[in-house]
Amino acid sequence: MRIVLLSLSLAVALALGSAVAQTVTVAGGAVGQELELTRAAADRYMQENPGVTVEVLEVPDLADNRLGLYLQFFEAQSSEVDVYQIDVIWPGDLAVHFVDLYDYGARDVADQHFPAIVENNTVDGRLIGIPWFTDAGLLYYRTDLLEEYGFDGPPETWAELTEMAQTIQDGERAAGQSDFWGFVWQGNAYEGLTTNALEWIASNEGGSIISPDGVITVNNSNAVEITDLAASWVGTISPPGVTGFGEEDARNMWQAGNAAFMRNWPYAYSLGQQDGSAVAGNFDVRPLPAGDTMGGEPAATLGGWQLGVSRYSNNPELAADVALFLASYDEQKVRAVEGSLNPTIMALYEDADVLEAVPFFGSLFDVFTNAVARPSTATAPNYAQVSSAFYTAIHSVLTGQEDAETALALLEIDLEALTGFPTGTP
Amino acid sequence: MTKESRALQPAKSRGPSKLARGEERTALWLLLPSFLIIAVVALYPFGRVVLSSFTDERFAAGTDLRGEFVGVVNYQRLLSMTLRQVPAVVDVDTGERVLRDGQPTFENPRLFLRRLGTSLPLDAVATFRIGGNLWVLGATSASFIRSVWDTLVFTVSSVAIETVLGMIIALTLAAKFLGRGVMRAAMLVPWAIITVVSARIWEWMLQPTRAGFFNTLLNDLGVTDGSYAFFQTAALQVPAMVAIDVWKTTPFMALLLLAGLSTIPGELYEAAEVDGASPIRRFFSITLPLLMPTLAVALIFRTLDALRVFDLFQVVYGEARYSMASYAYYQLIAARNVGMSSAASVIIFVIIFAFALFYIRALGVDRDE
Repeated sequence: MRIVLLSLSLAVALALGSAVAQTVTVAGGAVGQELELTRAAADRYMQENPGVTVEVLEVPDLADNRLGLYLQFFEAQSSEVDVYQIDVIWPGDLAVHFVDLYDYGARDVADQHFPAIVENNTVDGRLIGIPWFTDAGLLYYRTDLLEEYGFDGPPETWAELTEMAQTIQDGERAAGQSDFWGFVWQGNAYEGLTTNALEWIASNEGGSIISPDGVITVNNSNAVEITDLAASWVGTISPPGVTGFGEEDARNMWQAGNAAFMRNWPYAYSLGQQDGSAVAGNFDVRPLPAGDTMGGEPAATLGGWQLGVSRYSNNPELAADVALFLASYDEQKVRAVEGSLNPTIMALYEDADVLEAVPFFGSLFDVFTNAVARPSTATAPNYAQVSSAFYTAIHSVLTGQEDAETALALLEIDLEALTGFPTGTP
Repeated sequence: MTKESRALQPAKSRGPSKLARGEERTALWLLLPSFLIIAVVALYPFGRVVLSSFTDERFAAGTDLRGEFVGVVNYQRLLSMTLRQVPAVVDVDTGERVLRDGQPTFENPRLFLRRLGTSLPLDAVATFRIGGNLWVLGATSASFIRSVWDTLVFTVSSVAIETVLGMIIALTLAAKFLGRGVMRAAMLVPWAIITVVSARIWEWMLQPTRAGFFNTLLNDLGVTDGSYAFFQTAALQVPAMVAIDVWKTTPFMALLLLAGLSTIPGELYEAAEVDGASPIRRFFSITLPLLMPTLAVALIFRTLDALRVFDLFQVVYGEARYSMASYAYYQLIAARNVGMSSAASVIIFVIIFAFALFYIRALGVDRDE
């Protein structure tokens, strides 16, 4: 009897022990269908790997709040979470808390992903996160209105956009649509304005605020010129309240049929095509316009999420396996087809199933290869302050408190003090 | 409360009796557990904050290092201020001041401050015109100084408005009328709503489009074109916070005052009425003096609460405009600067403490009569 009991308790202890060791917790987002998709993927992993439990921890929607939560785990060096879903701007700041995925088999798959994202996730030669899905700024435009007002196609440059937006807005207002505006975007003083303004400046050959090798380039005439143009939109082709707009404010106005153009992330596409949207079937997306300088090319700010494995995990090997599984070709394909989340694996943009489910992914390919990264890696661990200084400066121009020339000169001095980097031209 | 405890103490002139000394010892032993709890939950964390305010510790730095001791650098960075006269723009050829519309023009104050070449760049907190000259108040942490000022303005205006409105509501609800119970319950609804939720509700009502209630209303009245950006207009940012806070917290004020009103004996009013005192006279001679202790407690509660305001500012403005507490949060989470955040928290503590002392002195909370 005693032996039976002993062996029973031993078996239970072993089972418990192995169960504890074989549990991987993934901290994942729950925006839209994200959570369901991640849970389904976790189930597939568990089917393939009996004995392993993959749990999904739901984290806050807003990136800032999510970072606050993660930092508390890191401060406590907690092993509670093994795999973290991390924003494209965090690898530089958080590198110290993650293992190098190259040590866990990522070298075989890294070159399938967009090189710009892999480079962004690489800190001192260490791969901090495997790309999971990506985002880039896009121009949404109303095909029906462009046709109605006799335009051949969407605008190629910001100046063209300004003109077309004004024409359509004047026409629609005259037709009695008093709430109609030409162009909506994200102008509130937050990270979203950094992404918008970086697109304007980069597309006008104004650099990317701080270059990857650590030179402050933001104070230049091309940047001043395009920032002044953007400030001129406020109250003319964009509502005065655009300086308080986030992604959803812009999308709501757009989806109600009250805007001719919108700058937003790809997520607004499927929502805009759903039943009940006033613009369903009447819009398309394209890369954002280029600047008016000679070599100006469209630029899209890189967004998106990666999976990193915590240094404090009890089982980094298994956690890395889960992360690489979730970011694999097959899993990214499911997320693209079912959730229209942009894959980071280049080949998926030629996959027939993906293109059938989400046709606009085909035209996005170039946008992603040209995506401009925010200077988060070069400025780590000060990126949040750099971004805050940048969007505060841009916001002061948009609200008319400062002219662009002064604001960017002030910003340059602040960034010098903050980072200690030299200044230069882009 | 204070009356009883004082009553237990022997008169000072006679010196403590043996019995009183024994009672004091017992009292000390009885208080000891409370002291221990306070030491653990209040003194230790506070001491830790004070200590880290003298370091350059980083939040979640990923190492076991607690940061280096840096002295008072964090306080210097937060509090350094300077008042400077902004140079007028002078014509290089003539040496005379450049006029625009008959007014002298000045250099951009912010650029002027930055170009002073101080080790930490100065930014402008405010500018003033004195005579024909332009002065600028510069600070190394202009947003912190602004957050202190904004929080003080927020506190004084919201508490003042809440007190007046709360008094009116309390006096109304103290009267006997049909449905008083329902009214008293209804009054509490805004107070019952979580601040984050009420902040979001107001954020929607004040949206910069006609999807927002106020823009629709003002547009229908012909005041605006339906796209007024309340939260983006600098002059309206703090008043908007005051409005939300008044809406939410007036019920609390009213509730406290109502409780105070119910302790005033009705005979006093009857006697005053017999003596022919007018309602206004009755309010100022009976209600207000007898309500003073309650009012003092309510004011202290609300003032200290308002000085700590965090959720409202954080939800609506994030990093566009700070309260003192949301600035400390920004320094900790976004800037990950434990030292600066701690120093800001200590300064907040000192400010709140000063307010508490002021109230205790000014309102005589510690006096017996």
